[in-house]
Amino acid sequence: MRINNKKNCIFIQNMVCMLPFLFILAMFILHLVLPDKTFSIEEGRYLAQWPDFNIENVLNGSYVTRVESYFLDQFPFRNFWVEIYEGFNKIL
Amino acid sequence: MVFSSLLFTFAFLPVTVVLYYSLGKNFKNIVLLTASLFFYAWGEPVYVVLMCSSILMNYCIGRLIGEGDVSRQKKKLYLIISLVLNLGCLAYFKYFGMIISTISSIGGWNLNVSTPALPIGISFYTFQILSYVIDVYREKIKPQKSLILCAVYITMFPQLVAGPIVNYVDIESQLTDRRMTFNKFYSGMQRFLCGLAKKVLLANNIGLLWSEVKAMPSIEISVFMAWAGIIAFTLQIYFDFSGYSDMAIGLGKMFGFRFKENFQYPYISQSITEFWRRWHISLGSWFREYVYIPLDGSRVGKKKMIRNLFIVWFITGLWHGASWNFVLWGLYFGTLLLIEKLFLQKSMTGWPKAVRHVYLLLFVVIGWVFFEFTNLNDVLNFLRLMFGIGGNEFIDNQGIVKLKAYAFLYIVCIIATTPWPKKLVLLFEKTHSSFYRVAVNLYYCGLILMSTAYMVGSTFNPFIYFRF
Repeated sequence: MRINNKKNCIFIQNMVCMLPFLFILAMFILHLVLPDKTFSIEEGRYLAQWPDFNIENVLNGSYVTRVESYFLDQFPFRNFWVEIYEGFNKIL
Repeated sequence: MVFSSLLFTFAFLPVTVVLYYSLGKNFKNIVLLTASLFFYAWGEPVYVVLMCSSILMNYCIGRLIGEGDVSRQKKKLYLIISLVLNLGCLAYFKYFGMIISTISSIGGWNLNVSTPALPIGISFYTFQILSYVIDVYREKIKPQKSLILCAVYITMFPQLVAGPIVNYVDIESQLTDRRMTFNKFYSGMQRFLCGLAKKVLLANNIGLLWSEVKAMPSIEISVFMAWAGIIAFTLQIYFDFSGYSDMAIGLGKMFGFRFKENFQYPYISQSITEFWRRWHISLGSWFREYVYIPLDGSRVGKKKMIRNLFIVWFITGLWHGASWNFVLWGLYFGTLLLIEKLFLQKSMTGWPKAVRHVYLLLFVVIGWVFFEFTNLNDVLNFLRLMFGIGGNEFIDNQGIVKLKAYAFLYIVCIIATTPWPKKLVLLFEKTHSSFYRVAVNLYYCGLILMSTAYMVGSTFNPFIYFRF
């Protein structure tokens, strides 16, 4: 029982150390799971969607740019992060 | 791909780490190689072919040089072939445009030749390949028998695009046998987060001040504003580049590698000589090992020593970019180093510490002017502004308002260039060891949350060292 407790304690400590990585992993999974949005009311614009695969676009690099803007636009809780960002900017 | 993008941090990194640790020992290098090729191909889909063929060629040459009983002359021939091909490739892709425009401006012709786009990271991986081939030739190392391991060494994504330059001899044994422990992963992750925060929170934001100053018409820039701006650039380039090195070293550690340090608080140096021992260490030691010492370094007469110094600094400048201002920047530092070596070294130890420090910072800040403006006229113009030649105001209201807005960031940045924060943390660990662990973990959670907010909030920001 005692050994078990000790093991649990170390496990919890290790988990705490890993929090930033777990956060990254969680965000990635949420990104995959949450449905994509099409329109942002706050910004009044259409959000980028997953681009269709096309070998020509891959070779000229525009596919990559589109995937990057898709990732940026569909990031989980995007508005929340932008609010924090603006909050920091106001304070500083 | 850039480390400080959402796509890298929140998709590429977790997927790679999970695959790397969930597959067996035999697959680890294959996962790393595949991930690295994907990482490179992401930004440079065509040039990945160039890199692969370069690896294949140098792998073959390495084996030809190092195996069996090849005569001395043949070995030399192989080495020369490799040097010509590698440097030729670098020259064509990086310097072709510069050579053409220089020729046309000297001759007054109008040469319209299309120049190739610069493959990202070519200056870094070419130097890594050269270190491998030259060391095989010198019989310092045995040639790598496995093509996969040879490719892993060159392409490993943490150091692929912006260094640090890893010499093959330093990680030879780690390629086949490296220990991956929980603590190593943990401290690697912390290092990565530190680097990310340096780039996203400090470099990008202090850089805004410099871009504001740069965008102003030169009549409106007061002396005060010019200094505030170029000091902001001084801070930006340090956090940008050392942040990138931190991320690379951290990522390497997460996969079980140990890379050497690349930055050691350069701005606390007391002389230019010391500055270059602390700034971009891997590049400096590469030049010492593969250029300066083969030229017989400083063991020869004074005249030859001076010649060698200038050769090295000419190339160092040129390596940073295909433009003459970088050469000028290299020669500027070469000259300063020579003056220190010949005249100042002895008397300098007698100067007060503060004087030495101000001397160093003054010359380094002026050096960044040469580095930042690619046009010689712009360099002279800005230097004139800095020293009040040209009749601009010494100080104006706009400058004070701007500096007030950036005051907090300025102070944080300046403190962060010194080793004091680290010393304080170590002291804290000694005195409050029980609370320390919680505080450290909270700190890193805070860093990742803030970095995420800044990455999402600000628009996509590419890394400035990419143009080298």
